[in-house]
Amino acid sequence: MQKLSKVEVVNGVAMERALIRITYEIIEKNKGIENLVLTGIKTRGVYLAHRIADRIKRLEGETIEVLELDVSYYRDDNEGRNAEKQTVSADNKTIKGRKVVIVDDVLFTGRTIRAALDAVIDLGRPDKIYLAVLIDRGNRELPIRADFVGKNIPTSREEAIQVSLKEIDETDQVNILKNI
Amino acid sequence: MKKRLLVLEDGTVFRGYGFGSGKETIGEVVFNTGMTGYQESITDQSYNGQLLTFTYPLIGNAGINRDDYESIVPTTKAVIVKEYARRPSNWRSQMNLDEFLKEKDIPGLMGVDTRRLTRVIREQGAMKAVLTDDTREINEIIQQLSQTKLPRNQVEQVSTTSPYVSPQTGRKVVVIDYGLKHSILHELNKRECHVTVLPHDTNAETVLNLNPDGVMLTNGPGDPKDLPYAHEMIKQLQKHVPIFGICLGHQLIALANGAETFKMNFGHRGFNHPVREIVTGKIDFTSQNHGYAVSKESINKENLMVTHLEINDGTVEGLRHRLYPVFSVQYHPDAAPGPHDGAGLFDQFTELMDAWKVEKKDA
Repeated sequence: MQKLSKVEVVNGVAMERALIRITYEIIEKNKGIENLVLTGIKTRGVYLAHRIADRIKRLEGETIEVLELDVSYYRDDNEGRNAEKQTVSADNKTIKGRKVVIVDDVLFTGRTIRAALDAVIDLGRPDKIYLAVLIDRGNRELPIRADFVGKNIPTSREEAIQVSLKEIDETDQVNILKNI
Repeated sequence: MKKRLLVLEDGTVFRGYGFGSGKETIGEVVFNTGMTGYQESITDQSYNGQLLTFTYPLIGNAGINRDDYESIVPTTKAVIVKEYARRPSNWRSQMNLDEFLKEKDIPGLMGVDTRRLTRVIREQGAMKAVLTDDTREINEIIQQLSQTKLPRNQVEQVSTTSPYVSPQTGRKVVVIDYGLKHSILHELNKRECHVTVLPHDTNAETVLNLNPDGVMLTNGPGDPKDLPYAHEMIKQLQKHVPIFGICLGHQLIALANGAETFKMNFGHRGFNHPVREIVTGKIDFTSQNHGYAVSKESINKENLMVTHLEINDGTVEGLRHRLYPVFSVQYHPDAAPGPHDGAGLFDQFTELMDAWKVEKKDA
């Protein structure tokens, strides 16, 4: 049997700090929260988007909308072939002329984000799209970069990044997994 | 033991016994509510020019050790206690409080009801006071007090006059010394920061020529409005490099961005001040030492954001700039002495520097 090594690179406290910093940076870069919509990519991106929205509400006292995005239909690999076109509780009005922050847990090849960009633009024409990720692990295959990064963790392709969130995985943690 | 007097500006007289240095001293009398950490407090340069009263009745039980100094030459004007421990009991202790104060030429006063003194300060606000021999005429002392003007160049007195380095491999951090505590350097060095300490009147150009990853503005004594050159420096600096301000540094960042500061009635000095971090709703217990504060009403919401608030009286305890990577706290995350709840702020600073570095490379 293959053995797996597991190394913790981000603990709960550090994840909290990363999210706080991303929250502040979103407000800084956008010069406020006017016209802002957060869009979490399923599954973990949605929880992260809700956490960021929560922190923005505490700071600015205003609720900002969080959309949940299922990008399977737009994927460029086999996974998306049979998927149904996404059902998002958003219409043209939610997206058009607004600033969308796409939120995901890990940025790797960039293919998921490419699909997310298509999915968002399919809903309407936003003024601007930002990308916020908890972990940027490098190894891009597409010309895509993030505006807000919680932590840069350079990895090799043989390794895997495992993000755990309290909402579904009991703890807040990021691990690097590797076959040994 | 020599009988000595503490005379306050409003005419209140406290009689006690002298220990430590026998000289006469004049300054602002303040109180600290901490139960421990007297060595760190006495050597904290933020107490420059102040007569430091400990409300806790027994001070000095653990003696003085070689590890807990926050500065080499403390400039606290006097130490006022109910009772000091003549025979300390701790494996690290090298001398008792009396010997230490003698060595540093700081007068001490014992046998005073420090809790009553605290109540007087709470009611009347922080005042000028004299610690002197009881042979002098009270009226004459009060007159002398009212004529005394306390120095306003406190930062100049305690800041380093020439730059020095606290080496470590890693990020390059410039620390502007307004009266820094050694524990700030400990915390930065521990987090792989190579620290260059510069004098208080350094200009922005000199700092930027060192190409730092981040700049730290330290704690310090006195009124932040007495340092207009520092406001100018921050204004120029904040556009180019991440800044983290503590205590006086926090007030300077506020002033540089158009906010106002004011002198508090009796300040926050102690280790049990609850502070809420607004973004998480979490409450930290913090170590504090400040007599001035940032006025909440004066904050321009276009460029600053309040991030931390004191629970008891609503004082602004933390700020963040809306456009630049600049943040600050009024309390002491270095926690020397005090609770370690705020230590994560140093990690926040290092992570901000790392993120900023990547962003700069991308741009």
